[in-house]
Amino acid sequence: MSSKPRETANVGTGLWKATGMWAWLLFRISGLILVFYLGAHILVISTSRWSAAGKTLNDLMKTFDNPLMVLLDLALVVAVLYHALNGVRIILLDLGIGVKRHKLMFWSAMAVVVVCFGVFAYVAFTFIATGAGVSW
Amino acid sequence: MKVEVISTHRGGMWSWLFQRITAVLLIVCLAIHLILTHIANIGQIDMDNIGARLANHGLTAVDIILLAAGVFHALNGLRNVLMDYWFSSRTRALWLTIGLWVIGLVAFGYGIWALWPWIG
Repeated sequence: MSSKPRETANVGTGLWKATGMWAWLLFRISGLILVFYLGAHILVISTSRWSAAGKTLNDLMKTFDNPLMVLLDLALVVAVLYHALNGVRIILLDLGIGVKRHKLMFWSAMAVVVVCFGVFAYVAFTFIATGAGVSW
Repeated sequence: MKVEVISTHRGGMWSWLFQRITAVLLIVCLAIHLILTHIANIGQIDMDNIGARLANHGLTAVDIILLAAGVFHALNGLRNVLMDYWFSSRTRALWLTIGLWVIGLVAFGYGIWALWPWIG
C-alpha cells in the first residue's frame, strides 16, 4: 500500500478522478447500447418469418456483409467485451476477490478485452479485405 | 475505518442475484454464440447456415438461454438505470417493474416465434 495520502476524497468532482467512476459510466453506456442492440437483434432474426423460406432474412444478411456493417459489428464486439469483462470484475469484487487491488483488477480485465478484440478484429479485417473468413 | 458506499443496490436482493446468475450464463453462451457467428461463420449467415447450427440441440439450448437470460439481464439492467433517474419513487418503480416484465415476456415470446422455422 502506498503511504502517500489520497489527495481527493471520492466525492463531488474528485469522484471522476477515480478509475472506478469511468468504469461505471462506460459500463452503463455499453449496457444501454446492448439493450438497444438486443431489441434490434430479435427483430432482425424474426425476419425469418416475414416472407416465404426466409427470403427477407437472407437478403438482410447479405447487406450485413458490406464493410461498414462489419465495422459496426466490430464496435458492438467492443461494447460486449467491455461490458462482459467489467462485469466479471464486479462479480469478483462482490465475492471479495481483489478488493485491495482495484486498479490491477480493472486493467487486467481491460487486457483481456484487448486480446479478445484482437482476435475478432483480425477476422473482421480479413473478411473485409478478402471476402472470406479465416481458416485456423 | 472509513467506508465508501459505492452502490446501495436499491433494486432489491433478487434483482441483484439474478443479474449475476444471468451474467454468468450470458458470458458462457455469448462466447459460444460469437465464436460461431462472428468468427467461424462470418459472411455465411443465412437461413440454411443458421439451420445447420440449430439442428444441434445443444446449440438450440444455447440460443434459448441467450434469449431468456439476455432479455432478463437487459431489462433488469435498464430498470436499475431508470430507477436512478425518473423512477426513483416506490410507486413509479413498481409500475416500471410491471411494464418491463410485460415487455420482457412479449420479447421472449416473439423471440421464440422468430426461432420457430429452425427449432419447431
